[in-house]
Amino acid sequence: MQLGFLVDLHLCMGCKGCEIACKVENEVPLSTWRLRVKYVDVGTFPDTKRTFTPLRCNHCENAPCERICPVSALHYLDNGIVNIDKERGIGCAGCVMACPYGAIYIDPQTQTADKCTYCAHRVASSMMPACVVACPVQANIFGDLDDPTSNISKYIQVNQGNVQVRKPEKGTNPHHFYTNAGNVNLNPLASKRINGHSLFNKITTLPVGGHH
Amino acid sequence: MAAHEILAATQAVVTLDVPIPDIVWPWLVTVNMWAKSIGTGVIFMLFLLLRKYPDEAGKLRFPVTVVSIIFIHIFLLFTLADLHQPFRMWHIFFHPHWTSAITVGAWMATLFVGLLFLLAFLSFIKKDNAVFDKVLPWVVALAIPVTLYTAALMSQCTARELWQMPTESAQMIFAALLSGSAFMILVFGGKLSWEANKSLANILALSAFMSFILYMSEYVFGPMKAEEVAAVLEYVKGDGPYTVMFWLGQWMAYLLPMLLIVLSRTSKSESILKLAAILALVGLYLVKHVWLIIPQLLPMS
Repeated sequence: MQLGFLVDLHLCMGCKGCEIACKVENEVPLSTWRLRVKYVDVGTFPDTKRTFTPLRCNHCENAPCERICPVSALHYLDNGIVNIDKERGIGCAGCVMACPYGAIYIDPQTQTADKCTYCAHRVASSMMPACVVACPVQANIFGDLDDPTSNISKYIQVNQGNVQVRKPEKGTNPHHFYTNAGNVNLNPLASKRINGHSLFNKITTLPVGGHH
Repeated sequence: MAAHEILAATQAVVTLDVPIPDIVWPWLVTVNMWAKSIGTGVIFMLFLLLRKYPDEAGKLRFPVTVVSIIFIHIFLLFTLADLHQPFRMWHIFFHPHWTSAITVGAWMATLFVGLLFLLAFLSFIKKDNAVFDKVLPWVVALAIPVTLYTAALMSQCTARELWQMPTESAQMIFAALLSGSAFMILVFGGKLSWEANKSLANILALSAFMSFILYMSEYVFGPMKAEEVAAVLEYVKGDGPYTVMFWLGQWMAYLLPMLLIVLSRTSKSESILKLAAILALVGLYLVKHVWLIIPQLLPMS
């Protein structure tokens, strides 16, 4: 079994329901996110468009975080999930530095690394991840990539040529796919980040990612 | 299509994102790398001096070992201080994950510390120089991977393209040679002959020269390798936030020491040599700090 995710960006409407469901399900502390939806505005007025991209751990086949972890706090489960043992982690932040997707953070409460686990605890009870359940348009498709009859496998087959991963050049072989994605969605260098040019200009982050 | 071309065509602007706070490995890690360079570098220099100038370097066996012990402990202390869960450090020894450069480095550093204490015991308690000189090559051999493992660790940081350069390994070795020779000139130069000081100065100048060439190569050719490297190096170009610190480091660590060493050789001035050593040590910290911080400023999403 190889569990994977696919997000159809054509369906995603940026409601952030997945973000909230994830926060509640996993009791993710304030100022940290296991899953977040990035908004990118494209074009110049009046020809503009807003794009939405849910971002979470890619559960890579060749996970840099697993490789760099000195104590195996990050480890593979039999179903392909890259899981994390918060009791084992020493808080070296090596995984935070290694992850090319910025998907790992230091939990301000446990002071160890944390990230999306594809809701491994729910999956173990044959339930779907919380974000999948919460999505009102079924943009999040989750399932077994090794099973050709699973929804995700069928989706990939139907959308061949339109399925992408983030940063394929890193050689991490992510098990998280996107359809109908453009460069502005997946390549952080393909969009500007202008101070003060944000929907919420006064976002406060607690000093949890490191020593400031 | 290159990212800058896409950007020009789409005028895309991120209007909502909450990326991971930028600096995850702060100045504590800079001190870690800087202290380790000195800790292993002085051992390299002691080995060299004992080969070339056995009579005058003989008295340095114990003091240099102590210096190495002190700086390796500074390195270990700052490593520990940077951990968010320092009291779980023992997990590295009881749950080791051998694909991690952190694990391999921690074990090697521990063995290195053990050997340093053995050297201290041999030189101070047993006063057995013959055995000391037999053990020292093994310590030097171990000091090489202890110096290099940080480059392996940085290369495992897949997210930071700037550190994926093979030149990182060479930088680590040159940093150890530079800081080791500088520290020896500064602290023990007075106890050594001018010839011995000249040898140390040659190592300092050559390692400064090689390091400078490597940094300039990365500065000029790095952007041709990857868009991400080009974006990161923008932080040390033009009005970039780390431009001043980058060039201050290059001048202090490499260019000025090289010039001062040439000057000291013509005037046979130990004071100028010591000034070169101080600049090299301070400059090395700045160079290492800039290279540590700038890749962390680039958003991963």
